[in-house]
Amino acid sequence: MSTGEQTLTASAVTKVRPRKAATRRQKRERLVAAGFLAPFMLLLLIFQYVPLLVMARNSFYDYSLLNPAAEKFVGLRNFADMIEYEDAATSFGITFLFALGVVLFVIPVAFALALFLNSKLPARGLVRTMIMLPVVTSSVVVATMWSFLLDPSNGLINGALDAVGLARQPFLTSTGQALAALVAMTLWQQVGFGAILFLAGLQGVPAELSEAARIDGATRRQVLWNITIPLLSRTTLFVVVIMTVFSLQAFAPAFLMTQGGPQESTNLIVYHIYNTAFIMQQAGYASALSVVLLLVVLAISMIQMALLRSRWNY
Amino acid sequence: MKKKNLRRTAFTAAVIILIITCFLAPYAWVVSSSLKNQFTVFGDVSPLSWRAFFPVGATIENYVTLFQRTNILIALLNTAIVAVAQVALTLLLCSMAAYALTRIKFPGASVVFLLILLTFLLPIEAMMVPLYQVVSGLGLSNTLLGIIIPWIASPFGLFLLKQAFEELPVELEDAARIDGAGHVRIFFSIVLPNVKVPMVTLGLITFLFCWNSFLWPLVIVQDPARQVIQVAVAQQGSLTQLPNWGETFAGATVATLPLILLFLVLQKYFTQGMATSGIKG
Repeated sequence: MSTGEQTLTASAVTKVRPRKAATRRQKRERLVAAGFLAPFMLLLLIFQYVPLLVMARNSFYDYSLLNPAAEKFVGLRNFADMIEYEDAATSFGITFLFALGVVLFVIPVAFALALFLNSKLPARGLVRTMIMLPVVTSSVVVATMWSFLLDPSNGLINGALDAVGLARQPFLTSTGQALAALVAMTLWQQVGFGAILFLAGLQGVPAELSEAARIDGATRRQVLWNITIPLLSRTTLFVVVIMTVFSLQAFAPAFLMTQGGPQESTNLIVYHIYNTAFIMQQAGYASALSVVLLLVVLAISMIQMALLRSRWNY
Repeated sequence: MKKKNLRRTAFTAAVIILIITCFLAPYAWVVSSSLKNQFTVFGDVSPLSWRAFFPVGATIENYVTLFQRTNILIALLNTAIVAVAQVALTLLLCSMAAYALTRIKFPGASVVFLLILLTFLLPIEAMMVPLYQVVSGLGLSNTLLGIIIPWIASPFGLFLLKQAFEELPVELEDAARIDGAGHVRIFFSIVLPNVKVPMVTLGLITFLFCWNSFLWPLVIVQDPARQVIQVAVAQQGSLTQLPNWGETFAGATVATLPLILLFLVLQKYFTQGMATSGIKG
């Protein structure tokens, strides 16, 4: 302990001398650094940290956005209301179900697409471009497109079902099908992004490994299950987290396609927050809902970081 | 062996056709239908015919009424202004901050970096209510500046550029420094010209993000003269109880076409940027 302190002071002493000599230059450097960083940090503080504090504070108040001055401190009542009334639990439940559905379908399909794109393939560039089109298309246009694709009477999908002799489906107007239809749409929209991420991961897998295994007599399937998939576990985790966080924040589908219905079966949480704050003018309650959503997303990100840092690394 | 190869080829071809159908057919239907009247749109779908995917008997009527009846032209113009401004300001602020963090030694650098790192975890959509209060409190609601100002200091942009700056050898600047060049000159004449690819990548992803953003512009702008394209398309579809399908599709096409063209030309940068960052708009 004492030797440690001694070396510490010794090194501090040796460092102090040149530091003193360079004070003026260092001061100027600090000023320049501040100048380069100030615009970025200022905006970051105003538009990321200040809203965070405002949100935390407002979750203890009852107020409306039309007249924020007429606010009332209500303590934990907003959070108590979330437990007492069913809307929060329903909306969070639906959102988790939606996220789960998206992840369960996107991961295997995106992985299969990536494997396909990683093999020798004619028209590989064309296929890659195709699956990326929905990724660069806005969520508004995708939602608009799909609400017409899924239309019960004149939609393309029902036309196709008719053409192959299957029964027409109500899709978005049915409590049982609406959320599933939104999952299908999101799969279509996001799978290309997942595939690109998996493809980047696949290209990082050393070819010698699978070649050696093949020479030792392993089948293609064995190589896939015992070498490729374990090696891609970090990429998979990454894609799972991105898709989860993305799904938890989905808004346009609920806003444009279903208005949260039928019977709240697609009342995704961000849409619920939007409605609560801007339509029903209960901004305090909306802030409390936002705090919970923030904590959920933070928890997921933390778990991701912990897992990525752990020994679980090939 | 030959038979197996043949089966493989047939399988591959089938998968390729399936993928192209799944991803291209909806676009073909929407664009083709945008060039038809309502009656033809419905007629081509039930019973389904190949005409649904091709603009047979095309008319630009929907586009004419779209531009005459709605404020879509203003919305397009607003979006272009907003997107270009956001790209320029994001590139400037992020590259300056990245320079300070990689090229200048100063106390507290790790604290600054931690502050930036933490914002990466914040879900943007969850913060719209307080953000609305902050931005309108600054008097920026219903302005184009209000649409972009929360996103200019992009932690994602900073990370992308910081990584590129770190990979740039410091020796490049040594000669200039010996000649007495200051940080401002080194930044503009030596560092920036050597990080063109990451700058283009960040610019493109920022453009994509801005062009496609919906929730925030919906919340912060009510004035139709300041509306952006995504909000215009969203409201056009829901304005009337019985929407004109062709016209709605024309709006969707107009809102998407510029980005798709940009994507097709500069695909390499888009895909690379998304794959390395894992973040999209």
